[in-house]
Amino acid sequence: MGTNAIMENTTAGQGVKKMEASFLIDATKCIGCRGCQISCKSWNQNGTDRTTAGPTFTNPPKLNSKTYTNIAFFESEQNGAVSWNFARNGCFHCKKPACASVCPVEALVKTPEGPVIYRAERCIGCRYCMLACPFNVPKYEWEKLSPKIQKCTFCYDRLLAGMIPACAKTCPTGTIHFSDSIEKNLAEAKKRISENPGKYHNHIYGEKEAGGTSVLLLSALPLDQIGHAKVGDQVLPDLTWKYISGIPAIIGVVLAAGIGSWVITRRMKNMDKEDE
Amino acid sequence: MSTERHEIKMFTPMTLGLLILIIAGAVSVYKRMTLGLGATTNLQDDFPWGFWIGFDVLGGVAMAAGGFVIASAVYLFNMKKYKPIARPAILTAFLGYLLAASGIFLDIGQPFRIWHPMVMWQVHSIMFIVAIHVVIYTTVLAMESSPMFFERIGLKGVQRFVEKIMMPIALFGTLLSTLHQSSLGAVYLIVPDKLHPLWYSSLLPFSFLVSAIMMGLSMVSFESILSSKFFKHQANVGILSGLARGSMVAIGFYFVLKIFVLLKGPGIGAAFAGTMEARLYLLEMAVGVIVPLILLLIPAMRNSTGSIFLVNCLVIVGVVINRMNVAIFGLLRHAHERGASYFPTTNEFMVTLFLVALGIFLFKFACKYFNVLSYEEVKQ
Amino acid sequence: MTNHWIDLKNADVVLVMGSNIAENHPIAMKWIMRAREKGAKLVVVDPRFTRTAAKADLYAPLRSGTDIAFLGGMIKYILDNNLYFRDYVVNYTNAAYLVNPDFKMPGQLNGIFSGYDEKTRKYDKKTWSFQMDDKGLPKKDMTLKDPNCVFQLLKKHYSRYTAAKVSDITGTPKDKLLEVYKIYGSTGKPNRAGTECYAMGWTQHTVGTQNIKAMTIIQLLLGNIGMAGGGVNALRGESNVQGSTDQGLLFHILPGYVPVPTATLVDLKAYNEKNTPKTKDPKSVNWWGNRPKYFASYLKAIYGANATADNDFGYAWLPKLDEGQNGSWLMLFDQMYKGKFEGFFAWGQNPACSGANSNKTRKAMGKLKWMVNVNLFDNETASFWKGPGMNPKDIQTEVFMLPCSSSVEKEGSISNSGRWAQWRYKAIEPIGQSKPDGEIIHELYKRVKKLYQAKGGKFPAPITNLTWNYKSKDKEFDTHLIAREINGYYLDDIFDPKDATKQLGKKNELCTNFVTLQADGRTSCGNWIYSGSYTHKEGKMINMMARRGKSDPTGLGMFPEWSWCWPLNRRIIYNRAAVNMTGQPWDPKRAVIKWNPDKLDPKTKKTAPGWDGDVPDGPAPPMADEKAGKYPFIMRADGMGAIFGPGLADGPFPEHYEALECPLQENLMSKTKINPAVKLFHDGKDGSPEDVFFSCDTRYPYVATTYRMTEHWQTGVLTRHLPWLLEAAPQLYVEMSEELAAEKGIKGGESVKVKSGRGEVKAVAVVTKRFKPFKIAGSTIHQIGLPNHFGWQFPEDGSGGEAANLLTPTIGDANTMIPETKAFMVNVEKI
Ligand SMILES: Nc1nc2c(c(=O)[nH]1)N[C@H]1C(S)=C(S)[C@@H](COP(=O)(O)OP(=O)(O)OC[C@H]3O[C@@H](n4cnc5c(=O)[nH]c(N)nc54)[C@H](O)[C@@H]3O)O[C@H]1N2
Ligand SMILES: Nc1nc2c(c(=O)[nH]1)N[C@H]1C(S)=C(S)[C@@H](COP(=O)(O)OP(=O)(O)OC[C@H]3O[C@@H](n4cnc5c(=O)[nH]c(N)nc54)[C@H](O)[C@@H]3O)O[C@H]1N2
Ligand code: SF4
Ligand code: SF4
Ligand code: SF4
Ligand code: SF4
Ligand code: SF4
Ligand SMILES: [Mo]
Repeated sequence: MGTNAIMENTTAGQGVKKMEASFLIDATKCIGCRGCQISCKSWNQNGTDRTTAGPTFTNPPKLNSKTYTNIAFFESEQNGAVSWNFARNGCFHCKKPACASVCPVEALVKTPEGPVIYRAERCIGCRYCMLACPFNVPKYEWEKLSPKIQKCTFCYDRLLAGMIPACAKTCPTGTIHFSDSIEKNLAEAKKRISENPGKYHNHIYGEKEAGGTSVLLLSALPLDQIGHAKVGDQVLPDLTWKYISGIPAIIGVVLAAGIGSWVITRRMKNMDKEDE
Repeated sequence: MSTERHEIKMFTPMTLGLLILIIAGAVSVYKRMTLGLGATTNLQDDFPWGFWIGFDVLGGVAMAAGGFVIASAVYLFNMKKYKPIARPAILTAFLGYLLAASGIFLDIGQPFRIWHPMVMWQVHSIMFIVAIHVVIYTTVLAMESSPMFFERIGLKGVQRFVEKIMMPIALFGTLLSTLHQSSLGAVYLIVPDKLHPLWYSSLLPFSFLVSAIMMGLSMVSFESILSSKFFKHQANVGILSGLARGSMVAIGFYFVLKIFVLLKGPGIGAAFAGTMEARLYLLEMAVGVIVPLILLLIPAMRNSTGSIFLVNCLVIVGVVINRMNVAIFGLLRHAHERGASYFPTTNEFMVTLFLVALGIFLFKFACKYFNVLSYEEVKQ
Repeated sequence: MTNHWIDLKNADVVLVMGSNIAENHPIAMKWIMRAREKGAKLVVVDPRFTRTAAKADLYAPLRSGTDIAFLGGMIKYILDNNLYFRDYVVNYTNAAYLVNPDFKMPGQLNGIFSGYDEKTRKYDKKTWSFQMDDKGLPKKDMTLKDPNCVFQLLKKHYSRYTAAKVSDITGTPKDKLLEVYKIYGSTGKPNRAGTECYAMGWTQHTVGTQNIKAMTIIQLLLGNIGMAGGGVNALRGESNVQGSTDQGLLFHILPGYVPVPTATLVDLKAYNEKNTPKTKDPKSVNWWGNRPKYFASYLKAIYGANATADNDFGYAWLPKLDEGQNGSWLMLFDQMYKGKFEGFFAWGQNPACSGANSNKTRKAMGKLKWMVNVNLFDNETASFWKGPGMNPKDIQTEVFMLPCSSSVEKEGSISNSGRWAQWRYKAIEPIGQSKPDGEIIHELYKRVKKLYQAKGGKFPAPITNLTWNYKSKDKEFDTHLIAREINGYYLDDIFDPKDATKQLGKKNELCTNFVTLQADGRTSCGNWIYSGSYTHKEGKMINMMARRGKSDPTGLGMFPEWSWCWPLNRRIIYNRAAVNMTGQPWDPKRAVIKWNPDKLDPKTKKTAPGWDGDVPDGPAPPMADEKAGKYPFIMRADGMGAIFGPGLADGPFPEHYEALECPLQENLMSKTKINPAVKLFHDGKDGSPEDVFFSCDTRYPYVATTYRMTEHWQTGVLTRHLPWLLEAAPQLYVEMSEELAAEKGIKGGESVKVKSGRGEVKAVAVVTKRFKPFKIAGSTIHQIGLPNHFGWQFPEDGSGGEAANLLTPTIGDANTMIPETKAFMVNVEKI
């Protein structure tokens, strides 16, 4: 991302509203330098945990309340050929985010520009978002007495200021490609797959997962082999919405049945009073 | 005023036990409130909801279902026969909800913002629906239980007025409960990839509702038998076998529903796959559904207090297992895949015990000082 | 680098051997990725599978210290399969030269070249010379058939490097070896370019210089030097290490790679005589023939008006080396260890961790009277006296700490590997009492000078006579004045000696470039190669290094208006080798320069034939031009790329020798086991116990190497204190194969002890598929590796671990004396 895609695509005065922020993350380009991990911490001034050298280089071993993105290292061997894959973890900024849909207080919201952001002052700490997120992204400040949810903000603050996200800016190899349009990134992803037969596992993770996300992943290996959960295609909020939207009907049925049975049973009771 | 009430002794060894649990539990609650969730529970990023949600909230609310089941029977279906147990059932529900709400208060990271959902509406959120329901329904239950309070303080007029409008209140309560019980199932609709297929299904709200009705009936029946034992009055076998018949229908329906869900979902094979989940599923089904159903299908069993009591216990335990399966065991596999695991801390257990003991204690307290159990007698 | 970072994108094949570019130069890796996107192949040869290897099209393992065998095999393969670029080899290299018939090679002399003296461990290079004709020019056989010509000798020498033999030595499976040879050999065609990226993986060996020399031979054979997407590219290390060598920070060179005078060269004349190469070939530019101009201008820059023709421009005041004296790192600390120094400035370094054989280094510092640590932070060096195993009571060294400001708190230039000098601005004011290094030096100089002036001393002139005009209107110490002094001034009006009407330089103005420098004291120039970096244009001073123009006329990524590049803003050196004899690019798609007979002079609008593209290596017309044509390799006296290079201490052709510590009883290539020309600090029997080594010893059965990782910087002083980085890479670890771990019962994540003959460290085991045991001559040899980023001082609880240099031996390369920290022997034990 040499130039500033956001500024390029917005005309003066219109602000950044027209943007639909998106990452295309191409693991085949990633060199595992962890620049994204560190720059994210730097931009967000996130703290650290005391770690130990592990059996692999993945450190911190998982996303946590201080780590919005990390690189996971995967070694594998096939027919004597070793390969080493680096996978970037982080929020997918789902088009229809489960996390935001389940939040009872709209602490998590999908912004018009694409980022799913968190408004700490509203959060009650129910952690339903954590349960609901199919990618296990939201993290909690367990150690604190007044904990917050933490997750990647898609650098919403930077986007609004006309800058691309810190991780994408830092990425030396273009692995994290920022665009102001999911469609553009999707087209680019498709192009890369078709122009490089055999290079990619033929799947754009995020195109359909959880109903589609703003972050798209490409990889040489099937994504579940580099730590990305198998996630179904359904729009998760639809699953609950189907129920919620049925509530008026339930109300109608229950009221009708309740009143009806009250009326009927009352009459019945009155008719054969001797029964009592 | 009933004389019977005075036979309820406050300071029995059981009460003492309850008090000890309450005090010990209060320490755990204090720890939770001063040290935070991380320090006192085994909750973690890969397992954000644990025992409190599984037992206190899901289990507790299901147990409280007796309230609306009996209320609707009495006030909507005009089954006056069950009026004697209406007060204890509704009181149980009220206490149950208060305690479930306390459970939520302790479970959420920002307890003092528990009111936020009331003002920050998010209609897409099941959690919002649940929260709104808990609040309104607890209010309804308070109203439903208020007559005995007014009775106690001698405001007969008010008591009579409330009793007069009981039908719409009960209707509203039933509506809320139906929604609420099913909503708790709907909470898990959002995790199709995480919850084990033995439990995940789009019919989760419905199965939660039906199992709550089962549970409610058993709970009421269970309480009647227990209180008749403790408070030494005669259990009404008619009421009990009536409840048993109701249970039979509910369980039968639930059984068919569960089998349908199983067939539509992962298939019969999944239940016999030998995994931890499969075993827990079979346990849940055997304890809560199949054995009680078989027992209830035998007419003699339906009419014996002893066997009804057994069925009640089985159903209660079975449904609790079901709730724990959905909330904990069914999600463990996903946690394990991510290298995590979960088992509650002593502190978590103690907080739950605190809530349960407090509930029982308050119930007993109410029985002593209010006309909970002897309502009919007083009237007659 | 002969080329520059962006140029990596122009390659068809990128060989990363002896470096780990993805991890240590991650920003540059993107250009390799660009090349790959256009279809280039990335080949990685490294003892372990690195993050660079993870992106490679082909990875081949090799045992540390065996690169010459590997590359020798490649030379043989290229010659055997006629993959070399014949026109280039014949015309642009010394392949056709006939060598002294007395010259003998290792194949004939049990592993050594003719002229070796066992006692001094030095070569007499008399026989490593060319046969001269009566005009004083080397004799040539343009058919390359004469058995004494360089080409035939090369062929003969490397005929011993059969794939089977190479595979036995390196442990590289033969099929992988041949695959690498084939892919890289494919760049011998005019329309293909191959580039090589090396760094410490090649240099930190007793045969370090020869590793690079071997690659140079390959690149010359394949015609890859001068080409866009070609070259032999040293990925330099510390941010400004290129600048530091350019400015003569090494003991043996003055700024601009001008040799430091030796004591035997008593006057300027003697110095110039010795250090000015000559040629009788009119077609050779022999640029070093200009050295007297650069040397005199340098002396004028440092001694100013005090330097006159009469006093040899102050030549006598320059410090001199004794003949053969070596003042490199290992020697300095050896002398310090022997108590030969009173004081030591540890300026921007952390020798307690970075120096090979840290135990010795730390002990050496205990022999000092005083030490000054000029640094951003306290480090293992400043606090060595309270480090592990030290008893502060026994150590008399008084340590001073001078806090200096960091790179973002000061203004000046930084030269990157591509020779681009980029001006950087001060972002924030220095914190606290810290000062920029330059100001500290400035202050130090003033005090020392004052002391000399007040108290005299043995030889005050070199200090008291220095010019030191760095004070400007608004600054006590102004880096712009230094930059201008480096660029140089005309001290007089200078006219073209051939055309007196043509003024080349105006008195008191900044020099245009080094072409106009004079040997007679009329110009000053602090560093001739930087002449042109800060110039006068139309009466205004222009800092060329601060330019940020983004135009790229050739499309090759040369960006001629971005910063400034030495020499003369030439982005690819030896670029005249990128064209054929008539000046047309070998590969028109990659035209670095191109002879344009119809070129229009923009001012006069008349045709003035000349070069298009990059700044050419001299304006002369193409080589085919009978009268004015010139050879491409202008820095060489004979104008030819040196396949046969008599300049090095250990042979004109690279020969495989084992590392000082190695797992083999014998060198499989010859009877000579280690590089015969290295200086031994311990001969195996006698020497200081600190300098012991153990070859083929069952106590230390595993080959070890040390390296870097992206997450830390050097000894970690700058990065271990950064929580984000420490979190990502918290502790010293040791990488080992699954096979070795199984043998030792070690599991990934467990703590182990790594031990050498000189020290031991605790490390966390990283058991990985990325290290594999080697099959060396039929037996299994394990290699392990560990990063050199940790030290006892921080994290304070010691959880980070110690410096890997506690393990490494005291031995260096035969030419540069860079320590052999890439190949030595250790043991690993479970704790
Ligand atoms: N992040 C980061 N970047 C850095 C530095 C840093 O400390 N941190 N340091 C900078 C400095 S000062 C320098 S000099 C450069 C050094 O840059 P590099 O030379 O790339 O650094 P190293 O990691 O020391 O060594 C490179 C590789 O050589 C391999 N190797 C070991 N022995 C041999 C051998 O015998 N033959 C071959 N072919 N390979 C071998 C190692 O496995 C390692 O992967 O990096 C610079 N860049
Ligand atoms: N075993 C092993 N040993 C090695 C190597 C290896 O590969 N293996 N590599 C070798 C190589 S290539 C190198 S370059 C050396 C590096 O060796 P050193 O240069 O000794 O190591 P650094 O850690 O880079 O030390 C630089 C110091 O400069 C300080 N510093 C940073 N900025 C400034 C500044 O602006 N001014 C001043 N005055 N100080 C500053 C830092 O705090 C730090 O303490 O290590 C060598 N040692
Ligand atoms: S990935 Fe998870 S946290 Fe991120 S937007 Fe989607 S549901 Fe929300
Ligand atoms: S934890 Fe906070 S952000 Fe997450 S769902 Fe609950 S209220 Fe919303
Ligand atoms: S978008 Fe911003 S917050 Fe998200 S991972 Fe990148 S740097 Fe961190
Ligand atoms: S910054 Fe880019 S190349 Fe580096 S680890 Fe992150 S995604 Fe990979
Ligand atoms: S350390 Fe500096 S010079 Fe080296 S790659 Fe990173 S940014 Fe570039
Ligand atoms: Mo270096």
